[in-house]
Amino acid sequence: MVNNTRLVLQLRLRRSGEDCTFVDKLSNRPPHMKIRFRKSLGVALVALLVGACQPLAWQASPSLANTDVPVDSTITADPQTEAVIAPYRRQVTEKMSEVIGFAPEALGKAEYESPLGNFVVDLQIAQSQPLYGKPIDLSLTTNGGLRQPLPKGEINVGDVFELMPFENELVVLTLDGSTVQELFDYAVEKKWAPIGGATYTVKNGKPTDIKIGGQPFDPAKSYTLVTSDYLAGGGDDLNMLKKATKTEKVGLLLRDAILQQIRQLTAAGQPVTADTDSRVTVLP
Amino acid sequence: MKRRDFLKASAVGAAGISLLGFPLPAEAAQSVTLTILHTNDQHSRIDPMPNDGRKYGGMGGMARRATLIEKIRKEQPNVLLLDAGDIWQGTPYFNFFNGELEYKLMSRMQYDAATLGNHDFDNGLQGLQNQLPKATFPFLIANYNFGGTILENRFQPYKVFEKQGLRIGVFGLGIELAGLVSKENYGETQYIDPVPVAQEMVQELRQNQKCDLVICLSHLGYSYKTDKIDDLKLAKQVPGIDLIIGGHTHTFLDEPTVVQNAGGETLVNQVGWSGIFLGRIDFTFNKKNRQKTGVSALVLPVDNPVLTS
Repeated sequence: MVNNTRLVLQLRLRRSGEDCTFVDKLSNRPPHMKIRFRKSLGVALVALLVGACQPLAWQASPSLANTDVPVDSTITADPQTEAVIAPYRRQVTEKMSEVIGFAPEALGKAEYESPLGNFVVDLQIAQSQPLYGKPIDLSLTTNGGLRQPLPKGEINVGDVFELMPFENELVVLTLDGSTVQELFDYAVEKKWAPIGGATYTVKNGKPTDIKIGGQPFDPAKSYTLVTSDYLAGGGDDLNMLKKATKTEKVGLLLRDAILQQIRQLTAAGQPVTADTDSRVTVLP
Repeated sequence: MKRRDFLKASAVGAAGISLLGFPLPAEAAQSVTLTILHTNDQHSRIDPMPNDGRKYGGMGGMARRATLIEKIRKEQPNVLLLDAGDIWQGTPYFNFFNGELEYKLMSRMQYDAATLGNHDFDNGLQGLQNQLPKATFPFLIANYNFGGTILENRFQPYKVFEKQGLRIGVFGLGIELAGLVSKENYGETQYIDPVPVAQEMVQELRQNQKCDLVICLSHLGYSYKTDKIDDLKLAKQVPGIDLIIGGHTHTFLDEPTVVQNAGGETLVNQVGWSGIFLGRIDFTFNKKNRQKTGVSALVLPVDNPVLTS
């Protein structure tokens, strides 16, 4: 019965030449609504036919006030959610709060070269060399991959996780001279790619006077470069790295390399500092 | 208080429908409010940002967000809670527990849907598959083809939500994975140009699914100077999306950007990262006669919101 009346209604509406979304919505109603609908059918039909099925649509007006609500200390943490987090947090805190080193100054990021950038590219070579067993000429990272600076004072495992949360592995790439040239062009253009093992001068927006291992860059030579597997795969627009003639895994996560470097410095009674010798000279 | 001023349309439509006496809530009501709450790029920030002098230090925290959402749910009848991807990666919680806690907490907060960000592939397709059972909400993604991978047929492109009879279509778009994610982590997942996909989604949601509002969860990024597709370009090129909830670029916007396009206008919003802010946009729906007030009859200038006190 209900179905039949719906059909009639539908036919009549169709005949009026309008596509009424109305009908579709009726079919979705729960049964009790359909019954009520039937009772009021006479009224409904009249109203609809008189109205000649003018389609009615919901129109939305957005309110653009207060569209970002700060989640700050004025909001009490939900106790039940806290209870779910608590056992996880306990495990994380234990592992993370171990102090592994001391930095007299914070190591931060900057354009071209920086304490943090120099520290990371240098330790990439230092920690990979023994595992790789052959000379590594160059080292590369990007500011985008270094997620947080290392703070001044005690450094704990958590700080290193903040700096390098990713499970990126170190790889050694073999690059021909033209690819190395492209890499330096990139470093100058982007200003966010610290390079270890080399010095260069930025002149008129181009890299000049490139020295690798203290020797002038030779475009006819191949060079080895240690970096993360992420960047080696063309991450951060480093597409030229995909032209590597050889890719070899070091067998070490970048974060583990950083942890190891800091632990070794501390064991040797040394603070966590970056090499501050100028590597990039920017000519006005 | 800021607000955007809309032209007032004839109330004949709204009055007419009430005469029918149908009990369906939305059709009986003169207006219905829908509250969209959203996050993006949470990056495993379970606890508030360390308060060590860094920007936004001490802000965020998922247990606080749970309180805030609960409070809004008590005040508002129709809430949709959405996320635009990169739930994972950024704190040791992810490194040690592989995203399990993030999904658990989002499920407790009753997220309605999320899309996939590039970092959600950081433990590979297998890592994603392992944690999906912990999420009670769907991941919507329309422009990744998982055919031939272990995640084939695991995701829907869109979902239609009903609130008081209103139909809200939500679909997801992801960023190109090559260059952002290791090949071994995304495997044979294919990225499809988001523009034609979004056009299809709008068509499907508006025509076939009869949606009153269309929302895109996008991890494309807010804006690039290059040709790379972003939320602003998408909004311009694909009419028919009411709201793009964006991510990836960690963009903090004071208020949504309004983009004019051939079909009217699209709002683009993004709330930075790490759950420092909870995005909120309330839509008030009024029944209007479609013939009398086309979408184009909407509003006053968009890049100059009217300021009233």
